Amino acid sequence: MTFHKVLVANRGEIALRVIEACRESSLESVALYSEADAAMPYLRLASESLCIGPADPTRSYLSIPAVMSAAEVAGAEAIHPGYGFLAENPHFVEVCEEHGLVFIGPDSRVMKLVGNKLAAREKAASVGVPVLPGAAVPTDEKKLRAAAERIGYPLFVKAVFGGGGRGMRPVQSADGLTDAVVAARAEAQRACGDPGLYLEQAVTNPRHVEVQVLGDRTGRVIHLGERECSIQRRHQKLIEEAPAPHLDEVLRKDLHRAALATAHTLGYQNAGTVEFVLDNDGGFYFIEMNARIQVEHPVSEVIVGVNLVKEQICLARSGALAISQEALDSRGHAIECRINAEDPTRGFLPSCGRIEIDELPSGNGVRLDTHLHNGMEVSPHYDSLLAKVIAWGRDREEARTRMYTALERFRIRGVATTRSLMQEIVSHPAFRDERLGTDFLDNLTT
Amino acid sequence: MELGELREIIKLLKEEGLSEITVWEGERRVTVRQEGPGVASGEAPVVIDTVRNKAAGATAVSAPLVGTFYRRPSPDAEPFVEEGAQVEPGDTLCIIEAMKVMNEIKAESAGRLRQALVEDGEAVEYGQPLFLFEPT
Repeated sequence: MTFHKVLVANRGEIALRVIEACRESSLESVALYSEADAAMPYLRLASESLCIGPADPTRSYLSIPAVMSAAEVAGAEAIHPGYGFLAENPHFVEVCEEHGLVFIGPDSRVMKLVGNKLAAREKAASVGVPVLPGAAVPTDEKKLRAAAERIGYPLFVKAVFGGGGRGMRPVQSADGLTDAVVAARAEAQRACGDPGLYLEQAVTNPRHVEVQVLGDRTGRVIHLGERECSIQRRHQKLIEEAPAPHLDEVLRKDLHRAALATAHTLGYQNAGTVEFVLDNDGGFYFIEMNARIQVEHPVSEVIVGVNLVKEQICLARSGALAISQEALDSRGHAIECRINAEDPTRGFLPSCGRIEIDELPSGNGVRLDTHLHNGMEVSPHYDSLLAKVIAWGRDREEARTRMYTALERFRIRGVATTRSLMQEIVSHPAFRDERLGTDFLDNLTT
Repeated sequence: MELGELREIIKLLKEEGLSEITVWEGERRVTVRQEGPGVASGEAPVVIDTVRNKAAGATAVSAPLVGTFYRRPSPDAEPFVEEGAQVEPGDTLCIIEAMKVMNEIKAESAGRLRQALVEDGEAVEYGQPLFLFEPT
């Protein structure tokens, strides 16, 4: 589908990233902003910009009428949703389709399928991809207990339309089951708009590894390798790296194959990520698929040398992949640290204020994806992500030491950040020695 | 611009110790400047556009949503409000079309329309001033 003007339906670093990709693709871009973001310097880089509402995201970045109306008055022919906000909302994709706008991502059918985590699990299992024992949560209390017994403890109660940790509760034993289901149901209804739940067996201190895929309209799917995302706090990723360290080569290939099979059976188009957990015995299990460009996409870009946002645009335009699996090669190692406006010494409380920049990292092998600027007001209305520091090295050790120096040069005032915690993690012997698992942070702080 | 408004601007200039105020009203521009001790020279002139200029006695009505602005109910009809006309709370001022829905924008308070700031059929952003009213 041809288009010349892309509406950037997001804010912050990803909006900047999409605007850059549009410029490199010789496309016009329309940036949207809320009143709180009127001073963002990246707005200048777009061909035009439009204020669509007040700071409250439900009345600006999350408002489908405001976004669609802006697309209409600006004459945009395509929409890039970034991540978060409307990026994985099947209804939004449908509205785009009804209005003849190209949604840069999967179509509404795929979006619906992938959004139903239970259905996606079943689809993956149907093509032989391993999944953990699991079942939909029955309404009957007795049946619920029986289902949980069959799966075994510990387990997770998860939202059918959740993902990314929303509406998710760990359950250690039968005692906590009912309470967890009640709490998860309320959260699922509130955060995901649907109370549907399922049970899934939990793996103790697993690794989180995800595979980046690209699919086209002809049904062809390729992968761009995997990313290690085990360093998390309450299911929110903090540090990602590519490739995944000390992974058995057979297992690595199995993960890639499983990701391709999953994406293929889902009829997946555009950029997406297939998430797996790895247990300590060499087993891997499909968890969910994310139908968007991800925050951590730069680590793959850096080692594979593909601009994923440009590929997304290219796929939406041509419908066919321009790169082949055989032509892809990866080089070196990349690590990304997320700098959030949060105070690790006060329970990761979001920190608001006016930014003063003393120094920002740069130099050989260092990439900084950020919308930071001097005098920027960090508002309580939005995600706390301030910057992504990405370090590349010929090997993991070079990337790791380069990251440490880059973090040392990340010096801003006005808000508390996760910078020092990131330094603590990358310099920790367990991180250096590749002892990675989702409990990493808990073990660090206790 | 009326003489009373000009007096207000001069008063503001003195009270705030400014060196210059420029007021834009459509194509017309009025600059009031004072020289003398206490006023730093070489500073950028303070430009106060009519929209925010309370001294000029006008208040602005801004777009509550992004969309296409229409001053009249249909292309060949008269505008909802002519310049100089009196409006009462609840009177329709204009239409903003968003996603094929015609949203009628109504007056929240009584006033006399001094100036419409947007042309018929123009795209408007959220918060963009549409009309200037003199409260009555």
